[in-house]
Amino acid sequence: MRPFNFIPSATVADAVSASTANPEPRYLGGGTNLIDLMKEDVERPDTVIEVASLDRKEIQRTPSGGLLLGGMLNNTDTANHPDVRKDYPLLTMTMLSAATEQIRNMATNGGNLLQRTRCPYFYETSMPCNKREPGTGCGALNGMNALHAIFGWSEACVAVHPSDMCVALAAIGATVEVAKPDGTSRRIPFTDLHRLPGDEPQRDTILEPGELIVGIELDAPKYADHYYYLKIRERSSYAFALLSVAAGLQVENGRIASAGLAMGGVAHKPWKLTAAEDYLRGKAPETGNFEAAAAIAMQDARPLAENEYKIEMGQRAIVRALEQAYARKA
Amino acid sequence: MTKQATTPAEAVIGQAIDRVDGRLKVTGRAKYASEFPVEGLVYAQGVNSTIAKGDITRIDTAAAEAQPGVIRVITHENALKLASPDADRLELSTTSIAPVLQSPEINWYGEWVAVVVAETIEQAQYAARLVEVEYNRAEPKVDFAQDAGYAPDVQPKYERGDVDAGMAEADERVEVTYRTPVEHHHPMELHAVIAEWEDENLELHLCSQMVNDNAKGIADTFMIPKENVRIIAPFIGGGFGSKLQAQEHVMLAAMAAKMIGRPVQFTVTRQQMFTNTSLRQENLQRMRIGATRDGRLTALVHDTTSHTATNKEYQEPCGAASKMLYKVANNRVNYNLVPINLPYPWAMRAPGEATGSYALECAMDEMAWKLGMDPVEFRILNDTQVDPSNDKPFSSRLLTECLRIGAKKFGWADRPLEPRSRREGNWLVGYGVSAASRQAPLQLSAARVTVYRDGDTVTATVQTDATDIGTGTYTILAQTAADFLGIPVAAVTVQLGDSRFPISPGSGGSWGAASFTNGVRAACMKLMEEIKVAAGTDATEGQGIADLMDDADLSEYAAVGSAAPTEEFKNHSVYSFGANFCEVWVDVDTNMARLKRILTVGAAGTILNPKTAYSQVLGGLVMGHGMAFMEQSKVEKQYGNFITRSLADYHVPVNLDLADVQVVFLPEDDKIANPMGVKGIGELGICGVAGSLANAVFNATGKRMRDLPITPEKLITTKIEPGVTVSR
Repeated sequence: MRPFNFIPSATVADAVSASTANPEPRYLGGGTNLIDLMKEDVERPDTVIEVASLDRKEIQRTPSGGLLLGGMLNNTDTANHPDVRKDYPLLTMTMLSAATEQIRNMATNGGNLLQRTRCPYFYETSMPCNKREPGTGCGALNGMNALHAIFGWSEACVAVHPSDMCVALAAIGATVEVAKPDGTSRRIPFTDLHRLPGDEPQRDTILEPGELIVGIELDAPKYADHYYYLKIRERSSYAFALLSVAAGLQVENGRIASAGLAMGGVAHKPWKLTAAEDYLRGKAPETGNFEAAAAIAMQDARPLAENEYKIEMGQRAIVRALEQAYARKA
Repeated sequence: MTKQATTPAEAVIGQAIDRVDGRLKVTGRAKYASEFPVEGLVYAQGVNSTIAKGDITRIDTAAAEAQPGVIRVITHENALKLASPDADRLELSTTSIAPVLQSPEINWYGEWVAVVVAETIEQAQYAARLVEVEYNRAEPKVDFAQDAGYAPDVQPKYERGDVDAGMAEADERVEVTYRTPVEHHHPMELHAVIAEWEDENLELHLCSQMVNDNAKGIADTFMIPKENVRIIAPFIGGGFGSKLQAQEHVMLAAMAAKMIGRPVQFTVTRQQMFTNTSLRQENLQRMRIGATRDGRLTALVHDTTSHTATNKEYQEPCGAASKMLYKVANNRVNYNLVPINLPYPWAMRAPGEATGSYALECAMDEMAWKLGMDPVEFRILNDTQVDPSNDKPFSSRLLTECLRIGAKKFGWADRPLEPRSRREGNWLVGYGVSAASRQAPLQLSAARVTVYRDGDTVTATVQTDATDIGTGTYTILAQTAADFLGIPVAAVTVQLGDSRFPISPGSGGSWGAASFTNGVRAACMKLMEEIKVAAGTDATEGQGIADLMDDADLSEYAAVGSAAPTEEFKNHSVYSFGANFCEVWVDVDTNMARLKRILTVGAAGTILNPKTAYSQVLGGLVMGHGMAFMEQSKVEKQYGNFITRSLADYHVPVNLDLADVQVVFLPEDDKIANPMGVKGIGELGICGVAGSLANAVFNATGKRMRDLPITPEKLITTKIEPGVTVSR
């Protein structure tokens, strides 16, 4: 690992001001991704600012009836918090399917949102990657792309976002609270946080330099009764999703009052299936409607040379996740 | 102090005692190669090539050498001259040389191009990043075609009868190709070595499966007498074959130690273990089987095409079982080796048998289905008590018993005959079976036994250069010595892995347990005989060792003994056999496959310790499960590197993947194999496992999975076999 300057921080204000006062800064949360990337020589920060110990580890009820999740709280404690389990079991189920217990114990909520793609071209510094080194080209575009995007990719980047938690957040709806270097803060709708690669794949999110995620506010709970997170992977633990679906249904009088639906492993960002959600609203929770919603969701898919399997897998996974969500009583 | 029994109590061999070294291991006091405190130790970090083919045109070490703590950067420009291979492709063996940094030529992505030596490991790791290498890059060849290779001398073509005639007379034929990918050993302990020279003498703390063979390989590489090399290897954290030979990093450590005149520790990183410590080669296995309508095999052809490195040669014997497992008059086993720009292959747990049994046992299942026969009955029908490859009788062969007893215990009768016919909710349920066989060799193995008497109490020390790679060697040798000396296990101290001890064949090829215990038995019996002679006329039948030593007026006595295969052994085919039965569930939508339960029945002679034996077979089953469902290195065709770069990408089973695992050993008394009646089980456990899982997947889904591993991605894109009835 290359030498770097390590700065502990006591307050959010300390951390954000340290980020403007020092060269090439990175915030260090649980370290489960950044440290790996530094060992791999992919990330080469001059300054590492520790933020995991900051006092943003709360889980609080918000005026709108949602929950505020502290940005520095670890994934395990978040997933297992009684209020999260009771009101947002979809988030619990999703978060507990991620990585391993050891990693979840370390990983922070803010850090989870900002983890980088696991695309092997990004990780291997001898191969081209526009995300790691803009202008070098995308190795995966015409290379090994079985694990890559089918939605929203560009010639510059076909990588996928690796987070499970973010898929559930996209389905549930949330707002991200961000501290800015000037001491103010701003709020970003969760689905706006991550961006598609376009011709700037080096930017995963719309965050500006020095901005720090300090909290995630969940929308008022709707899917406590009918929910499911379907994660398709090669082994039962410690594997990223080939493809995943987070599904939540609010059913009133035999009709779907609201549907929350998002996919992972298919795009540069957590892929919210807005058109399918809209289609389902007011329909009966039946397989035929689930199949139609899935078809709507998949219609814009553009597979690469090696990932056409994700089309059929995605279609089936959406139907299945909705069926299981409906069948599941909390 | 209580007086020891004068006659041996109940034999401890065969008892499931705890590992005698268990406490040392769980308390961290068992020392592994990199952990020895050595005065003045410095650290080496290897640097890897970032191209797969070409030449180094410039290598700049200035920035690395300028770093604090850096002692030396070694490249091909300043490396010591080592022995050179006598062929374009070095034929790999357990004693082969491993020259390194001898030329600017690059043969595969990740090949060593430099080594940085520094005062601390962190300094070495950082400086290694600063070594700048420029290349003249050539287009790598990483894909291999069936027809582009050569016939390796090491695995000559085998043929009996007339396979074309055999295929012609068949009523049903199966002609299919199976593919298995590059896999890696990845023992838990990273490859590590501490090398230190004193004049022309080299001492190594080395994780080594074969101390004596490694000493030869190292000595030959440095062109010094073998006697000058001492290897110390008391504990080894797994090897699976990768520690059978002293590989290039061992030579780099010794070279660095020689050049700087200080002891050097070199640990290969987990990522480097994908490219620098050997691997299981990619294989294409073309199977052709013919059978009569009533289920008798008429022909069996097993043609294997495998990759090897452009500068090193190895061929795993995929057709080994196809020669001897079933009664078939017309048989051919052939190999085709294709040199490409990938890291060199080498023996990995059950080399040839693990991969070959997948192809053979799946092809047998395909034939059984074509014939409309139960696959268990089909195998039993073609069982044989004579090895058809050499007409020798098997010393013992309980394959039919393994299959019958296994079928009964497993509940095979409940198996749905029609594929894709049993559902549990969203799961398709299938059962699979395979036969397993593994040669049970015996090699010359020596041991020294020393006994010490203190009044009525006798203790013993056993010394051999044999190794315990996690298999339980310490324990089974303590049990053996205890029984043959008539003293408690706790009175026996076993010392292993030092090249100054009597020579054993080392751990590999499933010969360890049989060879080591017979060697220790021979040494104990020799010692007892000599003490009886010394006791003279006072010795009486059934007298214990304490009394005998007392009568002979001895407080300490030592004997060296050894065991080797007998003529009777050589006149027989000596194998362990087994049968695997498994139940696999495949999700109808997601295509994720789960192993629900697996039962293995093994017939492997005397089971020295059911606890360590179970552990061995369990490990084999897990490895076979990984081979079937997840393990693979994927090769980037343009750059020639593996895109599966860590254990996060290269998947091995996790605890949550594990199923209900049952291991049953059949009683088997085979004194032709060796006096102890011990046959190897270290590799039997993996044999046939992937085949049984693939066969269960067929039974569940109606899909023939002829390309490992069986991932959701492949399952969803594979078509249901013609002839299978589909309800959904």
